[in-house]
Amino acid sequence: MSIKTLEKVRKRLEERPEELKRAREDGRKVVGWVGYNVPEEIIHALGFIPVRIAVGGDDRLVEVGARYASSKTCVFIREIVGAFAENQDPFIQQTDFLAFDATCLQNYRAAEVIEYFFKKDVVVLGVPRNFDWDEAKQYFAHEANEFTRLLEERAEAPLDASRLAESVALYNDIRKTLKSIYVFQAAKDNVISWEEVYDLIQAGELLDKQEYLSLLQQTLAELQELQQNPVIEGDDGNSRLFISGSLIPRGDRKLIGIIKSVGGRIVGDDLWSGILPHLDLDIKEISPAGVALAYLNRTPHAALPYLDLASDKRLKKLHELLSESKAQGVIYHTLRYCDPFTFKAKETKNVLAKSGIPLLEIHTEYAGSDYEAMKTRVEAFVEMIKIKSEITEEEGVLADA
Amino acid sequence: MGKQLFRYSEEHKEKFLESENITFNDGSVVTSEEIWHYLTVEGPKKYPGSFEVNLYQGNRNSRDETLPTSLKTHYLGLTFSDRMEKAKDRGKSIAFIQGGQAVDPYTAADTIALRPGLVNQWNRDLVHGNDINKEFLRRKELKEKAFHDMSFEACQTGGYEHIQAGNLRVDVIAPFTVLRCSDVSYGVEAHRHGPNKNVKLINVDYPLRHQADKPWAIEYFAQNLRKLVGTLDEVTGRTTSEEDLLASIKLHNEGRRLGTELSELWWSTDVPPTNSADRASLVGLGNLDNHGDVRASLSVLKEAKKFIAERVKNGVKGHAVPDNPKRIFILGSCVGINTARSEDSGAIVVGKDDQWSHCSTLVEEEGDPFYNLAKYTLEYPYEQSIEKRAQWTIEQIKKSRADGVIFIHNWGCNTQAAVARPILDVIKREIGIPTYIQERDLHGLQHEQEQNRVNAFIEML
Repeated sequence: MSIKTLEKVRKRLEERPEELKRAREDGRKVVGWVGYNVPEEIIHALGFIPVRIAVGGDDRLVEVGARYASSKTCVFIREIVGAFAENQDPFIQQTDFLAFDATCLQNYRAAEVIEYFFKKDVVVLGVPRNFDWDEAKQYFAHEANEFTRLLEERAEAPLDASRLAESVALYNDIRKTLKSIYVFQAAKDNVISWEEVYDLIQAGELLDKQEYLSLLQQTLAELQELQQNPVIEGDDGNSRLFISGSLIPRGDRKLIGIIKSVGGRIVGDDLWSGILPHLDLDIKEISPAGVALAYLNRTPHAALPYLDLASDKRLKKLHELLSESKAQGVIYHTLRYCDPFTFKAKETKNVLAKSGIPLLEIHTEYAGSDYEAMKTRVEAFVEMIKIKSEITEEEGVLADA
Repeated sequence: MGKQLFRYSEEHKEKFLESENITFNDGSVVTSEEIWHYLTVEGPKKYPGSFEVNLYQGNRNSRDETLPTSLKTHYLGLTFSDRMEKAKDRGKSIAFIQGGQAVDPYTAADTIALRPGLVNQWNRDLVHGNDINKEFLRRKELKEKAFHDMSFEACQTGGYEHIQAGNLRVDVIAPFTVLRCSDVSYGVEAHRHGPNKNVKLINVDYPLRHQADKPWAIEYFAQNLRKLVGTLDEVTGRTTSEEDLLASIKLHNEGRRLGTELSELWWSTDVPPTNSADRASLVGLGNLDNHGDVRASLSVLKEAKKFIAERVKNGVKGHAVPDNPKRIFILGSCVGINTARSEDSGAIVVGKDDQWSHCSTLVEEEGDPFYNLAKYTLEYPYEQSIEKRAQWTIEQIKKSRADGVIFIHNWGCNTQAAVARPILDVIKREIGIPTYIQERDLHGLQHEQEQNRVNAFIEML
């Protein structure tokens, strides 16, 4: 079964670079952004065209990036740097300037390296590590105002409050619609897969936002027509898997492909390249600081340390999403030298084990050399979940008898 | 085959005994005679590894015995672990901190601040009688546990394994985080899942990107410093006032000033007055944090300056320094080269940016001490943008008249590795001296291949 709107989305993505080129010829500016806490609404409200720079899966570009940012930088960052070095990516080619945040220190380093070697104009938003402190929020509000001032300079116009309100409303609608769509992929007899929804989420990083909302609404309408009442059931005969850990950007589908190839079904994620950034974003005040603080108040990125395990929002959210999606196991994806997530792998495994949820860590990079090794491990994990599920079912039958 | 061991020669005893005593934080004094006894009798028994002649570890069969302060830094190093144990027995509070940061707020709050290397040293020297290889194996085994609990891609684990195992009585994990390193930040967080629930945790959050130019970033860091002091006070049960902090700043400014003057004296002559290792250990005293005792460091530093001034005046060359050595400047965190072998190859290390960055400037003494300390910290040259950091580095290279620069980063240290090339790029562009990047393993013995590259670089110079 295929959703017709998804075809339309794919087509529009192909056309998008040319469209951006024309928009720039007409005087619009394209802002490439990288990070987790970049308040995209502000970029949008100033009349810029935001596109997220998130590319992966190309080990050749990783090698190129290593020449500038060292082979010890995380694979994703190396590829981004490599992509700027080669300047062949159709979206990167169209960027007028860049907006980075300092959530992840390696992101921040990438901003410095790209600025230095490729002479790109880069605006950086400082992000506090003690994000739950009131003092940190005040600092971040200042940073958001400074970030806006730097963007206003580049826009040669001040930020208009009503335009910001419109952008916030538009992005809120996008987030709301995405959440509604997301439920369908995890449902029994699903008519859309997690992989399709994941691609759809990432399409929104590049497409015009107004058009994207319209495409999402069309997708949702189609889904509702095909499946009026999506019900998420835990025991649907599949190995229901949840993906967590380092981001999986456009171009990197190695792990996702392996899971599918061995019969696993992904039913949820908390990736910052997936649904997570769209959840729990509650903008209470229409101002740069108000928008930015709403970003900071979401589930924090793993790069921001939190010192009390029991009240960790990231782990709480993971539990909540696992429960909603009725996932039976977690595949925890860590990229080479991605410290924010590798440092938490064992801890996350231990925390989930207390809830009886198994976790498999897959540590990888963009080379294909570990494909078979990954496949063996994922296959064994999927099989283990199936067996565990069958045993639970048998025990249930016996108990009922 | 038995190990060859170094011994201080009796012929230098008399001169050493004429040198000054060391006074410690608690007011106790150790006389030069007691130091000599320790270095010649007690120390070699307890820590044979430190007296082992092993050029691969930078340990020669001879040392600069006519420089009494060199012996005193050796003494402070050897007694460090015992002194920390005694400090804990007396109820002193101890904090784990980041490398590359000043310790003024910890001193103000009557807390000993130990960076990762010192935490490891404390633990290492709890065990007596080990030679270098035995100690290396023991350290490797402990590190494996930490890598398992944190991440095998960690450059260093900050003594997590010792603190969590309860081997070290560290009260609080309180580093300035993301200053030069991200692993320490994740390392602080890792303590939350360890078995040792008695250790307090606080991140002192160092803002990034043109931080020193932003009043709100300075204010935010000042608030972090206030919270840090509050947390340290929770452990000690005392109340640290602004006056305490100002007094600490003044004390540390004295150390920084003396450290800078000593370094400039050293740089002022064509004849290096000490070898590389002695230069590093004496200039390093400027931060007053090297030996877990601020007063002891200061007293040795004061005396060292006098000895260096005398040597510079008389044109005395440091022990084992080659004639007309090629002068090398080292960049990068927690790194160094094998100075003994490099000297044998005709070079000398004339400076490092790490630990020097925060020694080379002073904290303003007028006004709010928290704000002043925050401003000074956010202005660390090492933490600035690529161009700014490189320009400061160039100034140091020029002052030290270095012939070449090596940027070293440890395996897994992505924070420094990422900027190694652009920093060297600016240096080459501006002053055209030879440079190269070297990666090394923080936990390894000094490897032959590493020295091969250093030697080739020296030969090229």
